[in-house]
Amino acid sequence: MKRAFLLLLILIGCELWTMDYGPWTKNGLWTMDHGLWTNPAFAQSKVYLRVGSQDEPKTLNPFKASDVWSWNVMGWFYESLYIREPISKKVIPWVAEGYPQFSGKAAIVKMKREITWDDGTPLTAWDVKFTADLIMDFKIPRYISDWEFIEKVEVVDDYTLKFTLKVGCTPLFQVGTLMSIIVQKKAWEKLVQQAKESKAPLRTLLDYQVKRPVSAGPFSFSEWVKGSYLKIVARKDYWAKGKEVAGRKTGPFYDGILYKLYGTTDTAILALRKGEIDFIYWPIEPGFVAELSKEEKITVTTSPDNGFFYLAFNLRKRPYNDLSFRKAFAYMVDKEFIVQRILQGYGEPAYTIVPPGNKFWYNPDIPKLGGGLPKDERIKKAKEVLKKAGYIWDRKGSLLLPSGKPLRSFNILTPPADYDPIRAMSGVLIAEWLKEIGIPALAKPTSFGTITQKVFTQQDFDLFILGWQLGIDPDYVRVFFHSRQAVPDGQNPMNYRNKAYDKLSDSSSEECDEEKRRKIIFKCQEIIMNDLPYIPLFFRDRVEAYNNQTFSGWFKDLGGISGSIIYLQPKIKPKPSIQHPASRLQLSLIWIFIILGIAGGYYVLRKRRKKIKDKK
Amino acid sequence: MGRVIPKSVRNRFGICFGFGSIWIWDFLWIYAKGVWVLKMNMYRYIGGRLLQIIFTLFLIIAIMFVIFRIMPGDPASLLIDPKMPPEAKASLRAQFGLDKPLLSQFLIYQKNIFRGEFGRSFYHGQPVFEIIMERLPNTILLFTTATILAWGLGFFLGKIIAWRRESKLELSLTFLGLLFYSIFIPWFGLIMIWVFSYKLGLFPLSGMTSAELWMRKEEISSLILTLDILHHLFLPLLVLTILSFAGAMLLTRSSMLETLKEDYILTARAIGFKEKVIRDKYAARNALLPVVTSLALSLSFSMGGGVLTETVFSWPGLGREIVTATLNYDYPLAQAAFMFLSALVLIANLIADVLYAYLDPRIKY
Repeated sequence: MKRAFLLLLILIGCELWTMDYGPWTKNGLWTMDHGLWTNPAFAQSKVYLRVGSQDEPKTLNPFKASDVWSWNVMGWFYESLYIREPISKKVIPWVAEGYPQFSGKAAIVKMKREITWDDGTPLTAWDVKFTADLIMDFKIPRYISDWEFIEKVEVVDDYTLKFTLKVGCTPLFQVGTLMSIIVQKKAWEKLVQQAKESKAPLRTLLDYQVKRPVSAGPFSFSEWVKGSYLKIVARKDYWAKGKEVAGRKTGPFYDGILYKLYGTTDTAILALRKGEIDFIYWPIEPGFVAELSKEEKITVTTSPDNGFFYLAFNLRKRPYNDLSFRKAFAYMVDKEFIVQRILQGYGEPAYTIVPPGNKFWYNPDIPKLGGGLPKDERIKKAKEVLKKAGYIWDRKGSLLLPSGKPLRSFNILTPPADYDPIRAMSGVLIAEWLKEIGIPALAKPTSFGTITQKVFTQQDFDLFILGWQLGIDPDYVRVFFHSRQAVPDGQNPMNYRNKAYDKLSDSSSEECDEEKRRKIIFKCQEIIMNDLPYIPLFFRDRVEAYNNQTFSGWFKDLGGISGSIIYLQPKIKPKPSIQHPASRLQLSLIWIFIILGIAGGYYVLRKRRKKIKDKK
Repeated sequence: MGRVIPKSVRNRFGICFGFGSIWIWDFLWIYAKGVWVLKMNMYRYIGGRLLQIIFTLFLIIAIMFVIFRIMPGDPASLLIDPKMPPEAKASLRAQFGLDKPLLSQFLIYQKNIFRGEFGRSFYHGQPVFEIIMERLPNTILLFTTATILAWGLGFFLGKIIAWRRESKLELSLTFLGLLFYSIFIPWFGLIMIWVFSYKLGLFPLSGMTSAELWMRKEEISSLILTLDILHHLFLPLLVLTILSFAGAMLLTRSSMLETLKEDYILTARAIGFKEKVIRDKYAARNALLPVVTSLALSLSFSMGGGVLTETVFSWPGLGREIVTATLNYDYPLAQAAFMFLSALVLIANLIADVLYAYLDPRIKY
């Protein structure tokens, strides 16, 4: 019986060894596992950019999706009238032909005629009007703020649109409305009708499952095997292919993108090192840089991230409503230390609320309060400011309010260390520094949901540390500090109220002359950094890694290198670099059979020995 | 279920009570047959337990509903754009039913559950049941196989170490088992990936399928695709089995040690049976009882998957989905998933009880 089993095992092993593996037999599975580039079969046929992704899209419905994983994929399907040029960030016509022609409150936008959807139908003004009406009728949460100053959209002819604005002129029209996505009327018409007739129209629309998105962009949706990979393929008839944008020829010059799922950064990095993927589509922690830099085939890049991290005060409470107190506080926060020690140098201390990477709107002349000062100097300056405002210290060195009352201990809410170790650690450090001038502070790591609830909804907090991911347009400078936003669920939970600021920032959203608007935004940054409702802490760098052996043409941009992947050119290698006689699958099978064989052999031998022993 | 009641009787009752369908009578008939004809109390016991399960499940649903609602945070925050005007925010909340008082939200939820509607995920927009059914087979494949393997191995080793008490083998296996039992899963998983997948290249790094292979699935035989899944399954299975066999091993060991003290073992020895026969047929079979019942329970817990294991091996299972749903305030998905798991645990409890009676003839209900 046992012999028969062993024989069977050997037979199965032989069968697997010699079995026909379809197209893989000739080149061996081994080469496939080591990447498309080492596999001649792939090199000759299809060339895919293999991207490591930490999560899958949550939905393919562009009106619903709010997560970065969905937009990493869907971003390739929807074109807009205008886009931002890479690097320079200038607004350039894309689906539109030239810039809008204004006459009074109306703006005429002409469209290119050669653009088609991937089902072959042309992209026309009717699609744009349909999308606009849909967003305005349903008040789609993600987009409505970009359309609130639009009265109506009309179609003049198939390729000409007329936008009627509620206000005279606003820069947000071009950077918001005209950069909004365009969906296909044909694909959505029926569904929109059904949604309108339903009990909860918006919910019906948002819950709609898009199985196969119709694309006007460079890639078409191809296949999604949930939990494994998602494939999009390059459109051969993409209208912008070969056109020059910012001195680079627009691609795609390869056959598609393959998004592969890796649950952790560790496995994604192993996959990159092994050549299984070409690029990791999420920032990696600085801790991995030293190890990755040793690999010749991997390039690690750092680029400025378009966002900032900050500490904010509740200005409804004493003593945070006192500017002198906030100033002394700002002196005690050693941003350089945080950047050097916690961020390991991958970042920059923040002294304003516009990231320096956003070059046009960044005000470089803001004074750096306490910047580069040693600890003793900081303490000295902070104490000076406090003394001047009437604060005193008791015998134990604890700070007393000008009224003579002791200062109540307060909490700095930070996200917990498993969510963001940098912010959690910064909170602890800041609390320690404050103790040096007798201010009793305590860093309190709190779940992200609780912080947003306490800060934005209930507005019951002392201080908190959070961050913002930003757009290029600096309208957030107005929104974050406007007194209109100092309401529950508003964006100004600090309750910062400054009439002069409201007026100035409002004028920024009405100024269409970019140079003049820039001056206003500069002034706004100055006011905020004088009044200090926020203490900006740092701008984080985005560290990314890619395989430099497979594609060329990578470039850094604000927010990373992901924007450059449309311009990439594949490097075709004439000969595969790794050749192995056996496939990995075959190799594993051999191993398993060797182990089983040894175990079986041992068992049979033991049995036999025992039998002989028993007989004796 | 066959129609067991004679047609004439069925028709009379059907007409008499105005029921169009007769299924209910069939059920009652079988129930009565179980209780009355066969005089077996087991059915009554199971029936009672089923009622208990339904009641417990109701309680669980209610508690979960409350727990999710007192969790700080707002489910609408995922959809709402910070710049949205307050009226638009309010109307969005209304469309998702989040503006209604908690009690009426709860009643609506209960009503829907009894109808078998679990709603749509706030986050995916997809029906919750679909999402669970997409993920559950993957979890069952990995975790249930791993549990059965771990318990099989644990039982086998447990009976050996109990038999060879105070030997070096017992000491080393207990030490190893406890060592693996207490190791941090992600760390061990990553080390295994690094050694077997990265350095030795024996297994894939992560996931359940090879994208490059499945992309061309039309050209490739299904045997290869199955082998590909098994290839991906091997390493996580190995890790899970190594990490969890100790539980069953120690349970078998202690249960076996108890059994070995019994008189019938002494009798068997006196008769002169072979050592192996006494160990496997007399001692181990009787020691199996607590092991099997606790296996039934672990199987039901294994359906929930392991968040950490699934994350490290990028295994597309239910565990990760539950955590993401909870963190994103995706009430419908999280509640349905937890309810599903609770139901499985309750049913597994019942099966364990029934198994007890089957395995141990002394126990009667």
